[in-house]
Amino acid sequence: MDDYQTCPKCKTTKYRNPAMVLMVNACGHALCESCVELLFAKGSGACPECKCPLRRNNFRVQLFEDPAVDKEVDIRKRILKEFNKRQEDFPTLREYNDYLEEVETIIFNLVFDIDPAGTNKMIDNYKKENKDITQKNRNRQSQEEMELEELLEAEKAQQSEKANLYVNAELEEKKQKHKAREKLIDELMFSDADAKSIVASHVQATAALAKEQPKAAAQPSSGVVKSSKFSSGVQIGLRGQHTNSFLPIPKQEDLPLYRYTAPVFDYDGPPPPAIEKLGKLNYFANIRAANITERAGGYTEAMSCCRALQEALGGLFYSPQLTHKTAVLATNSSTQDTDDMETT
Amino acid sequence: MLELKRALDAKGHCLLEMPSGTGKTTTLLSLIVAYMKAHPLDLTKLVYCSRTVPEIEKVMEELRKLMNYYEKEMGMEQNILGLALSSRKNLCIHPSVSKEREGKVVDGRCYSLTASFVRARHAADDAVPICEFYEGFDAHGKEFPLPPGVYNLDDLKEYGQTKRWCPYFLARHTITHANIVVYSYHYLLDPKIAEVVSKEISKSSVVVFDEAHNIDNVCIDSMSVKITKRLLDKCSNSITILETTISNMKENDSKRLEKEYKRLVEGLRDATIARETDMALVNPVLPSEILEEAVPGTIRTAEHFVAFLKRVVEYIKTRLRVQHVVQESPAGFLRDIHTKVCIDRKPLRFTAERLASLIRTLEISDLTDFSPLVTVSHFATLVSTYTKGFTIIIEPFEDRAPTVSNPILYFSCLDSSIAIKPVFNRFQTVVITSGTLSPLDMYPKILDFHPVIMTSFTMTLARPCILPMIVSKGNDQVAMSSRYETREDTAVIRNYGNLLVEVAAAVPDGIVCFFTSYLYLETIVSSWYDQGIIDQLQRHKLLFIETQDAAETSLALINYIKACDNGRGAVLLSVARGKVSEGIDFDHHLGRAVLMFGIPYVYTQSRILRARLEYLRDQFQIRENDFLTFDAMRHAAQCLGRCMRGKTDYGIMVLADKRFSRADKRSKLPKWIQEHLKDTNCNLSTEECVQICKRWLRQMAQPFSREDQLGISLLTLEQLQSEEMQKKIQQRAQGV
Repeated sequence: MDDYQTCPKCKTTKYRNPAMVLMVNACGHALCESCVELLFAKGSGACPECKCPLRRNNFRVQLFEDPAVDKEVDIRKRILKEFNKRQEDFPTLREYNDYLEEVETIIFNLVFDIDPAGTNKMIDNYKKENKDITQKNRNRQSQEEMELEELLEAEKAQQSEKANLYVNAELEEKKQKHKAREKLIDELMFSDADAKSIVASHVQATAALAKEQPKAAAQPSSGVVKSSKFSSGVQIGLRGQHTNSFLPIPKQEDLPLYRYTAPVFDYDGPPPPAIEKLGKLNYFANIRAANITERAGGYTEAMSCCRALQEALGGLFYSPQLTHKTAVLATNSSTQDTDDMETT
Repeated sequence: MLELKRALDAKGHCLLEMPSGTGKTTTLLSLIVAYMKAHPLDLTKLVYCSRTVPEIEKVMEELRKLMNYYEKEMGMEQNILGLALSSRKNLCIHPSVSKEREGKVVDGRCYSLTASFVRARHAADDAVPICEFYEGFDAHGKEFPLPPGVYNLDDLKEYGQTKRWCPYFLARHTITHANIVVYSYHYLLDPKIAEVVSKEISKSSVVVFDEAHNIDNVCIDSMSVKITKRLLDKCSNSITILETTISNMKENDSKRLEKEYKRLVEGLRDATIARETDMALVNPVLPSEILEEAVPGTIRTAEHFVAFLKRVVEYIKTRLRVQHVVQESPAGFLRDIHTKVCIDRKPLRFTAERLASLIRTLEISDLTDFSPLVTVSHFATLVSTYTKGFTIIIEPFEDRAPTVSNPILYFSCLDSSIAIKPVFNRFQTVVITSGTLSPLDMYPKILDFHPVIMTSFTMTLARPCILPMIVSKGNDQVAMSSRYETREDTAVIRNYGNLLVEVAAAVPDGIVCFFTSYLYLETIVSSWYDQGIIDQLQRHKLLFIETQDAAETSLALINYIKACDNGRGAVLLSVARGKVSEGIDFDHHLGRAVLMFGIPYVYTQSRILRARLEYLRDQFQIRENDFLTFDAMRHAAQCLGRCMRGKTDYGIMVLADKRFSRADKRSKLPKWIQEHLKDTNCNLSTEECVQICKRWLRQMAQPFSREDQLGISLLTLEQLQSEEMQKKIQQRAQGV
């Protein structure tokens, strides 16, 4: 891409001599390295284009495609070393902006050689007037810079920490899987138990492992959350945590698909009326009707009514002193659970 | 409908997956329109976003049907105004401008005819051309609102022709008081356009994103910038143009520059920004508190700003001169630009705004040349505004051609929630819907919102009209898989070929095949040639192949449709994520079978993707593998869904990869496909698959009339009002 770069003196191009390096000096005119050595053998001389006196030591490698930009950046850096007031040094934003524009004009004048005498005078004046502020600001970072530095540091810390954590977690997981598989094969090979039961127990074990996984994954995130700081070092809330409000989705691999089986309830009491019949039995008369916003979410008054009834009726027949037989008579339902309770 | 009503009641967002062809659009439209009529204060507007122009037209057609029905039933004119909005390219009726093909050119020429300063000049000098249609609209159109009715793009054009008003600006103007607006995603999601077009839509609106399975990618694209070397060279040219124009203006008419300067000093926002025609240049999102602030002094005068731009461009040029890939965060970039060329963050943030103001002041009417510079200014503004959720990647060459130097700077958005967040915050209800949104729980995470309703619907069908199958091995029992390790294996390629040939022999009419990438498609087809599989295939059906060239592909598509229509039968080989997999429907005989060869994972080595995965992992605790699988499965589902476009349609879906039968992949398919995917069909060989196909096709080929569906998947009015049905509905509504 830089093949067409040419030295204005000896007309060498980057294409013909890939090792060619262009240099620039204060005047903003480019010269290749060998020309610089040739012309400035004495240590100083005039620029072949503008005849402006130059020192050899001041030649730098040209960074930008346009040497004028190199020159401008050079001047800018020099000027900004002196003109380093911050927004905090001004009472209003407007004045700060005016100051910024003034600086810009000075740089502009220097770059294009407009009114050099006047500009230099301005710079000198400024230097005299603002000596101490300049000195003070030199050792102080601006607010913005500090912010950036902080961000960069936070990023770095986060990156290294997270990378380690996740890599370790993944490795661990792989190891465990591998181990489990080996174990299964070993068992199948050497144990005398029924192959089916071995496989079943293996499936169970992996399922249990998978359940544990999300917990483990959630932990690192909470440890790394970094709260932001005021410039004075005072902590601000824990905003960072807000974005981390989601739990990781549980990882499921090699598991059988979930099948629903209806749960069996044991009320130990008379069965409560079915939820559809509540209205007919006139239970709603005693309950606050659900309003429209509650209904939108799927809530109905029947739910709470049904729940209250269940709570009221559940456990009415439960009695640890009763003998087995009476319990059976009373409930007319399966009494396996009460059976268990008596034994305990 | 029940779920949608609940979401509307609760004024929250919802996520609905409904199989295509089951009346998704009609349901949404009819319920929301009815809701608007019932609660005119709670809900004032429906904004329906779709992806392409044909889809927009389809929605308008449905809306028209609905309105006609209302009219017939209620016996009076309905007071509802619905309209479609598209780009200038689709709406322009100017005799010469509308002839242009490219959207950008049309925009540029329109701007050069309607910008406020051009019109001012015209007032002074009649020789300056202007657009008579815009003048007509400006003079009369604003006072007379569009009469109620449904206007699609053609209707708008026609209306514009008769009144001699510009349809584009008419539509833009009407948006504010229309009840139903149908337009493309970008008008809401792209912050650069949304600011202009959708600013005045009230909070009490419903926003529907249809076909939204790719919504996160749209969000990301709208916030990302790509800068190439060529673009920067063009920038340098435009900067020179700016320089000369400024110096000319200084000599002739320095007043205007002074005026602009004064305005910037005062810190006033552009007064002209309200002028609708001047908005061809817009800036990406800025926090409003910054916009209130004055432009910093460093870039206040025009010359300083141009020098500033030059430095920015030169700096980016030096950054592009790298030998190896660089990845850094916006903060790192900002620090570097400060040390190298002394540019602070604040002026950088105002770049886009300042450039727009300058171009307006200079009265440059031909904007097409400035688009590279505008891109760079957007980049500058974005990079200095957002420090989180973005990354900068500089690649000196493409991965596939490491010897050719082609440096590109990607400023890539990693967080899809940034672009869509304003939409969620602003509107009371946002409905995200598509035929394939599974797995549903991923979307709230990556878009960072909390839906009140999240449901996947299945179809009620009178007959099993889809037949999903997972074919995991060939007749020789070699496992089929597009895994990287086995992808070059001739046995796998041959097995894929045999599967296709046997299915082609058994299935009538059209068959569509999807491969994981263009590269994979081409390697497979070339080895099929060597193995003689192509010859066997052509004995049964004609063969068409999708290529990366859009014109070639559309030609292939036309001929494919022709071959299917006349009964010859055809096979179309295409690529998941390609053009065919996204927008084209293969209903009825056009797609009797879909074959998915392999799992369509993205190219995982891409650095942008890697960066995004890392971000998702750190920020949202989404594992890399989970996201990759999610992405692959949604594209697979999208491909499979191509062949089902309604209840009377039927089609075979073959997933030819061993890995599909794993629980983590299978459970991520949409519910309406999972429902028909039996355990017995999950691990088939080619032969078994063909047997099942034959049996099923015989069953499907039986005549299927409306009466068969009645009472199951189709209800007459009597059936609907029958007591039994009413009870069922009641029960559902109680939420039991």
